[in-house]
Amino acid sequence: MSIETSKLKIFHEPKDRLRLTVGDEKSYPTVVPRWASPISYPSRYLSLTDAKGTEIVLLDDTSGLDEESRKAVEFEVKKRYLTSTIHKIIHAKVEFGATYWSVLTERGERDLVTQSLQENAQWLAPNHLVLLDVDGNRFEIPDITALDPKSTQFIAQIL
Amino acid sequence: MTNPINPSLLDPDQTTASSDILIQLEADLDANFDYGHQTLEVTSGVVRILEKGGVEVLRIPMTEIASARNEPLVGGGRLELTTKLGEIIPIISYTHTLGAKFSEAARGIEQLAQGKELLVNLKRELTRCIKCGRLLPEADGVCPACVDRGKTLIRILRFVAPYKKQAIFLTVLSFCTTLMNLTPPYIQGRLIREVFEKKTNLPLLWQLIGVWILIAILGTVVNITRDRLTAWLSGNVAADLRSTVYRAIEFLQLTFFDKKQVGAIASRVTSDTDRVWGFLVEGVPYFLLNGLTLIGVVGVLIFINPLMAAVILAPVPIVTFIGVAFWKGQSQLFHRVGQKWARFHNHLNESLHGIRVVKAFAKEDGEFTKFQQRNHELRNAGVHADARWFTIFGGMIFFTTVGTVLCWAMGGYLVASGKLALSEFWMMQAYLSLVYGPLQWFAAVNNWFSRAMAGAERIFEVTDMEPESYGDRAKRIDITGEVEFDHVRFGYDKSNPVLKDICFTAKPGEMIGLVGKSGAGKSTTINLIGRFYEPDAGLIKVDGVNYKDIPLQDLREQIGIVLQEPFLFNGTIAENISYGKPGASFEDIVAASRAANAHDFIIGKADGYDSMVGERGAKLSGGERQRVSIARAILHNPRILILDEATSSVDIETEKKIQEAIQRLVAGRTTFAIAHRLSTLKNADRLIVLDRGEIAEMGTHEELMDKKGVFYKLVQTQTAINEIIELGTINA
Repeated sequence: MSIETSKLKIFHEPKDRLRLTVGDEKSYPTVVPRWASPISYPSRYLSLTDAKGTEIVLLDDTSGLDEESRKAVEFEVKKRYLTSTIHKIIHAKVEFGATYWSVLTERGERDLVTQSLQENAQWLAPNHLVLLDVDGNRFEIPDITALDPKSTQFIAQIL
Repeated sequence: MTNPINPSLLDPDQTTASSDILIQLEADLDANFDYGHQTLEVTSGVVRILEKGGVEVLRIPMTEIASARNEPLVGGGRLELTTKLGEIIPIISYTHTLGAKFSEAARGIEQLAQGKELLVNLKRELTRCIKCGRLLPEADGVCPACVDRGKTLIRILRFVAPYKKQAIFLTVLSFCTTLMNLTPPYIQGRLIREVFEKKTNLPLLWQLIGVWILIAILGTVVNITRDRLTAWLSGNVAADLRSTVYRAIEFLQLTFFDKKQVGAIASRVTSDTDRVWGFLVEGVPYFLLNGLTLIGVVGVLIFINPLMAAVILAPVPIVTFIGVAFWKGQSQLFHRVGQKWARFHNHLNESLHGIRVVKAFAKEDGEFTKFQQRNHELRNAGVHADARWFTIFGGMIFFTTVGTVLCWAMGGYLVASGKLALSEFWMMQAYLSLVYGPLQWFAAVNNWFSRAMAGAERIFEVTDMEPESYGDRAKRIDITGEVEFDHVRFGYDKSNPVLKDICFTAKPGEMIGLVGKSGAGKSTTINLIGRFYEPDAGLIKVDGVNYKDIPLQDLREQIGIVLQEPFLFNGTIAENISYGKPGASFEDIVAASRAANAHDFIIGKADGYDSMVGERGAKLSGGERQRVSIARAILHNPRILILDEATSSVDIETEKKIQEAIQRLVAGRTTFAIAHRLSTLKNADRLIVLDRGEIAEMGTHEELMDKKGVFYKLVQTQTAINEIIELGTINA
């Protein structure tokens, strides 16, 4: 379905529910935003689906939306994606088959443990790393070369 | 620092004025979804959310709540309450770490809202080690750092217990070797003192040379015996270890296999046992032999000349220190090389498996680029590790040489000034070489030991894990085939139930078709019937008895399964057909194959029933594999039969044959069938329509079509998409 982005109005109504109206034509009472490719294109290709999971529209990015809609969508996305991006590795140590990490993310500091790095440290590109901790939480480093030298050194030592 | 705090049922008096807190859980995210804290507090009358410092941010009276659930999000979840007015209120978010706990809390809230008794399990779990404070790899699990290595070693040595005599003999032989190693320098010393210096006493020369030859021969015999015994002993211990691990893995619950990759599980049987084996075959004898030699040599050196001993042994602590200090970093580098090897290996494996696709898409260059990348990573890691290793090794050799030079300098001085006999000097320098050689490797032993203990821990982790409860394996119960689901709830991830409150009864001999969209819970229902998983709540009864009370092996022996992708073992067709009934007569195997419409294609093969099926049955076509698996199920003669999309991946002609075979197979057995094409379930006595883990409809094909409900819609959709192929009317 082709829908013009400028016709979209997205807002919270009631407070905890994201609602979408397409011009005067249609209204969707419950809308769920999902990234189509959250790792390769972290801020592009946002799919808006209805409560049943059927796509209403796939946005190239949120920039075409008006300010209020963009804010509403971005807030909803923040609520939905509880994964973290690592900005800094404060400490990391391999001991007895487990790796203990202490990292700084956009959500704050966190300690985590990873096991069997062969499976749980995934290189999506030469510099793009995803760590999965023992609970299945995902920690992403989009570009290891952008980290500070100490963090990079930890990665080089361990991986 | 913010840590994931595990939920706990805290002491109510401690935290709030309200006296009847029933559930109190701390989330690891704050209101802005940053790492922080928010607390869920549930009393019999109210659900509250508290921010840090106990400030209440949300309060919902229990009387307004209709239901509660854990809404799975990406990387975590949130607890949502649905009010009686239908409004959905998200109240608290958390990461995956706490998903299961909050899901349990949601269940608790729902029980309270519905006026039921609170039945939830929110026991306090340890996420950090009590001793060292490290995060635990698994809640309530073992801290790998604080694991008692002594205890682990004793457990490993228990595997040696059946070979006690040989082990004692081995130790005695090691003592003998040490003594014999210490003898030649002594003989040399005496030769210098009593023969060379006196320039007479030739008979003593021949006498001592004779002893030396004797010791050399004896030493060779002892060494050969010792090494052969070591090989025998360690081989046996390793085989026992592998058997123990494999046997334990066989009986583990399927949830263990869901969480781990096959390769990772296999490595417990191979590389982890190998590490322990390596330690037992090389580490223990090395340690024993060189440890004894070291003690012996130091003793003898001090006995000969304490001053000289002190000087020439001075570099020993330095060499040991270098070894220990540098080995740590070095082991990490070697570990890294191992990782790179694994990555390289994975890529190689994948590209060779997919070589047809690579060629078909003309992607040879692309694959080569990826290969080169991995190859270079491996090269760089290898070069880095080896370069560092040889540098350190060179350094250690230097200090060893310093030891020798010191020996000659000090010894030369003492000999020249008449304070030390030449024979004593010669003995000391000969003993010295016995010390420095093994010393270079002593540092590695700690790491060796640690790795072996870590491997052993992983082995014991598997053997200590709770196996499936098999019940009394001697007890035999004949099942007639009634299967009842009594309010069954289940989720692979407990925070996200796939089946909710399922109730139905299948009568003996009845054929039940399970219908629903993908993800509705069809395969899960089947997994529960086979008791590959057990319900989180509710009961499954077979012949009116809770099936947990039926011995598992007995139950499974009376359940037959035909899967969409049948798994055949590498062996002959006959062996595969008789897998569930070893020792079946050839006539029985042929009869089963005939019933499965497989006989004709089998005898068409050059080796007939002796044809090898290849790895996973790769030498047979999909339809052939399926019919062999049906023959296997027919011969197995189960009371309960499970057909999971048994005809979905074959052509129409083959499907007809398979359908015929299935009709013969289901006769008289309680059957649960999942089929992609809804029309193939026309012959089912009843259909159960599942929707999002709940039973939406139940009835015969006609009843459900007349009802024009969910099933009708599913059929309509399928009709619109595919042309329905009439297959369900073949006569048995």
